[in-house]
Amino acid sequence: MPDYWLELSVTAEPEAVEAISEVMSRYANGGVAIEEPYTLLDDGQVAQTVPDAPVTVHVYVPADASGEEARARIEEGLWHLRQIGFGNISEISTKRLAEKDWENAWKEFYHVAHLGKRTVIKPSWREYEPAAGEVVVELDPGMAFGTGLHPTTRNCILALEEAIHPGDRVLDVGSGSGILSLAALKLGASSVLALDVSPVAVEATRANAAANGLADKIDVRLATLEGAAGEPFTPLSSEVAILGEEVGTYDLVLANIIARVIAQLAPALLRATRPGGTLIASGIIAERRQEAEEPLRAAGLTDIREFIEGDWITLMGKRAD
Amino acid sequence: MAKRVKAIVKLQIPAGKATPAQPIGPALGQHGINIMGFCKEYNERTASMAGSIIPAVITVYEDRSFTFITKTPPAADLLKKAAGADKGSGTPNKAKVGTITAKQLREIAELKMKDLNATSVEGAEKIVAGTARSMGIAIE
Repeated sequence: MPDYWLELSVTAEPEAVEAISEVMSRYANGGVAIEEPYTLLDDGQVAQTVPDAPVTVHVYVPADASGEEARARIEEGLWHLRQIGFGNISEISTKRLAEKDWENAWKEFYHVAHLGKRTVIKPSWREYEPAAGEVVVELDPGMAFGTGLHPTTRNCILALEEAIHPGDRVLDVGSGSGILSLAALKLGASSVLALDVSPVAVEATRANAAANGLADKIDVRLATLEGAAGEPFTPLSSEVAILGEEVGTYDLVLANIIARVIAQLAPALLRATRPGGTLIASGIIAERRQEAEEPLRAAGLTDIREFIEGDWITLMGKRAD
Repeated sequence: MAKRVKAIVKLQIPAGKATPAQPIGPALGQHGINIMGFCKEYNERTASMAGSIIPAVITVYEDRSFTFITKTPPAADLLKKAAGADKGSGTPNKAKVGTITAKQLREIAELKMKDLNATSVEGAEKIVAGTARSMGIAIE
């Protein structure tokens, strides 16, 4: 392995990108990375590429004679593309990067995280000795949402710590990595039914439950509740079960999703909360608070309290007796 | 899943063979996402397409969780297969490496239309024909 790499970058109009990628990948093993400009829609929850905007192609070659040779060959290939008439192909820009153990380098971003007053999220490769009263959830970040780094997750843990009672039966709608389900169990819940519409999340929740020795206390299903309509850019798969009243009632219901989905699910979430039980609804961006809160009130949520961090809001309330 | 997008990265890599090496390591490493998690999932999803280049578009969220979708092989990959060429020409305006028919061009354009953001098959054909010319692949 070389100690340093050169990142070679070329910017051009979209129509030339396929050709440039072909030239660059010819001299760099493994392929290319492409950076397309995008705009954010729906409060940043969806990204859409900007058509016709210039695109940048990157490859990485060793910072030695072989890399210089590759760079020269790529330059030659680009010269030919310019001759053919592909316009606006930039010169190669070069950035020097230190070699890293990429398989493990990303782990530097993750440390033991203290959430709420007594919940600790610990990546498997870190050591931690819990203080008296603390509970530790072991969680390796993967694809599924819920690494413990997001304000909405932290808010939920704060609310959960306050609301949970030993022996509670818990429903977690939109379990993601399983972080809230597992924290609920560690904080004293007797069992959890975890639902998610993403197969990746269902698998992640199961794997993380097993890693914490909690697999026998959690039932994880590819499912959601009545009212779910799918999101505009990600429709619900036909494999997702829609659970009606058969889902039962729970002492504590968690829904860390987004305002629009909470609004869709509000009646079903309240039905699944036992009279006198607690509902924690989260993933709500501040300006969308009413979109979630009004349907929850209409469905019977009372004594509503809020947990705020940055522009994220968590609402906690009770179902009237 | 209260997720907001932090970055989008597109990788054009060989199906079933993702490793933390270039370009995946440096391109994704700077975003702090679980690279082995990506490689494993990508290789599982693309195992049956080994031998092709299968682009992946990765969306990284604020909490460094991520999702990705796979796309159709790049036009260059499809053109090489159609022309029976191992690689494109180093001097495309002089040395030709192969030939495809107008029908093959149309087929590739139809397959690639969505990923090329083209509004018509003719528009996609124009882009694919340009790529063919840049690789020294002639169209009959």
